[in-house]
Amino acid sequence: MRPVVTFAHMTLRSLVRRRTIWGISIVILIALVGIGQIPGYGVSNQGRFILDFGLFGLELGALLLAIGLASSIYPRDRERRTIMPLIAVPLSRGQYLMGRFTGAALVQSASILTGCVGLMAILVLNGHQVPADLFPAAALLIVEGWFLLAVVFFFSFWTSPPLNAPLTVLLFIVSQLSVSGFVALLPSAPALMRTLRLLLPHMDVFHIKDPIAHGLDIPGIYFVLAVVYGLSYMAFMLAVALAVFRKRDLK
Amino acid sequence: MKAGPLQVNRLEKVFHSKLGFSRFTAVDSVSFQISSGEILGFLGPNGAGKTTTIKCVLGLLNPTSGSVSIWGEPPGSGIVRKRIGYVPENPDYEEIFTPMELMSMFASMRGLGNSPGESMELLSRVGLSGWETVRMKNFSKGMRQRVSLALALQSAPDMLIMDEPTGGLDPTARKEFRDIILEENHRGATVFLSSHLLSEVETICHRAVILSRGRKVAEGDMDELLRTEDRFLVSYLPAEAVNSDEADEIEVSGEALQSAIDRLRGEDARIMRVIPSYRSLEEVFLTATGNGEQ
Repeated sequence: MRPVVTFAHMTLRSLVRRRTIWGISIVILIALVGIGQIPGYGVSNQGRFILDFGLFGLELGALLLAIGLASSIYPRDRERRTIMPLIAVPLSRGQYLMGRFTGAALVQSASILTGCVGLMAILVLNGHQVPADLFPAAALLIVEGWFLLAVVFFFSFWTSPPLNAPLTVLLFIVSQLSVSGFVALLPSAPALMRTLRLLLPHMDVFHIKDPIAHGLDIPGIYFVLAVVYGLSYMAFMLAVALAVFRKRDLK
Repeated sequence: MKAGPLQVNRLEKVFHSKLGFSRFTAVDSVSFQISSGEILGFLGPNGAGKTTTIKCVLGLLNPTSGSVSIWGEPPGSGIVRKRIGYVPENPDYEEIFTPMELMSMFASMRGLGNSPGESMELLSRVGLSGWETVRMKNFSKGMRQRVSLALALQSAPDMLIMDEPTGGLDPTARKEFRDIILEENHRGATVFLSSHLLSEVETICHRAVILSRGRKVAEGDMDELLRTEDRFLVSYLPAEAVNSDEADEIEVSGEALQSAIDRLRGEDARIMRVIPSYRSLEEVFLTATGNGEQ
């Protein structure tokens, strides 16, 4: 465990010193400033609109952060050969993957939380009530972000960064589709498409902005099950990523 | 010497092109072992398969066939990684860190309790005094090599695996590196040293393995490799100069040795010594790799 924690810390420090975090902070700030302008346009149901727009921004942020943070970590380590002395001696491949993943996940989670706090501040400053489910909703987005990070790491072990991003986005889009929407992609093979949809991730379970914006209560068990689902799928993706990584030659 | 800690048995590594249409055999059925406490020189021209072999030994590459075992364990296993130190060819570390930070993080990742004092001492030993807190981006190739050596020595390893460790170093630094390798060997570490510098290998290695185009073309004790097969040097003082200090020398084959001695005695010459004839490692290397005629 200690090697993973140390390497995660090393990854975190690396991301901070590379100013990656500052780039992310600027994007969050611009997004929040943009959302803060909404009241000026005199739209009806301002609070709901801000919440809806803000949570959508965080969903998109989780995806972009996963791609931005993780897609180039392993290729850069390989290209610059910084991975050689690490894998040769202090770390196993599993520890390398978990350390890099944990470091990136910490940055991503902190960014989503910052965005969430910013959204809360905008609601309060404009005299709107902060829904009780805002933080659980952000927690679900964090779990979704971790899952997406695992997907990006998986793709990074067998594709190039320019291919990693579209593949991740494609999976993100496909995983939002309902069963009927998925079957409509290939209507001639409905059974196959239904099975595929069942196996592919259901990221729509993490998106609860609509019920929150409409003031609906979300049962506690829903959060628990969604988190368990997300973490299980994330663990599965990391296990597959590690299996691919173990087969890779580090030339 | 005790049983060999590193056994490489019929190792083969084939690289395929991305589409699988072409293949390249980088290492072809190479076998050798290292005995405990010895310094093994690993030689070969560029592209001979030295680095590929070393990466298979470290578990960075998966062999196509054959096997590698270190202390009876597969490469890359936790037990093995704890007991080895590795100095890569052209080492690169994240440029935003300082040597002290790298020392501290590597120590923690290896489960060592290295104190800052110990790290400072080790960095000083490899010639990096005054550079401990400077970021790696300001370091030359030679300085990165020194950091790499300090990291390899951190755990007082039982085996040092070094891939061209003195490649980017000036002659003084090369001498310092050689001295450290010998100190570590005297401490008890086994050393697996890949190098282009034949004089370096000749000076410090007990044994050498020579590769060429992925195949092992020579192996043996340094003495055995350098000794000219069945050739002897006879030193003698001619009859007219028996009181002089300047001996003459002739080189003869083993077959002709007895008759040469008889002839010299018949001429009243005084035989001073008869020793096996030796070649330089460069001659051995060029002959073994098929470049001897050039």
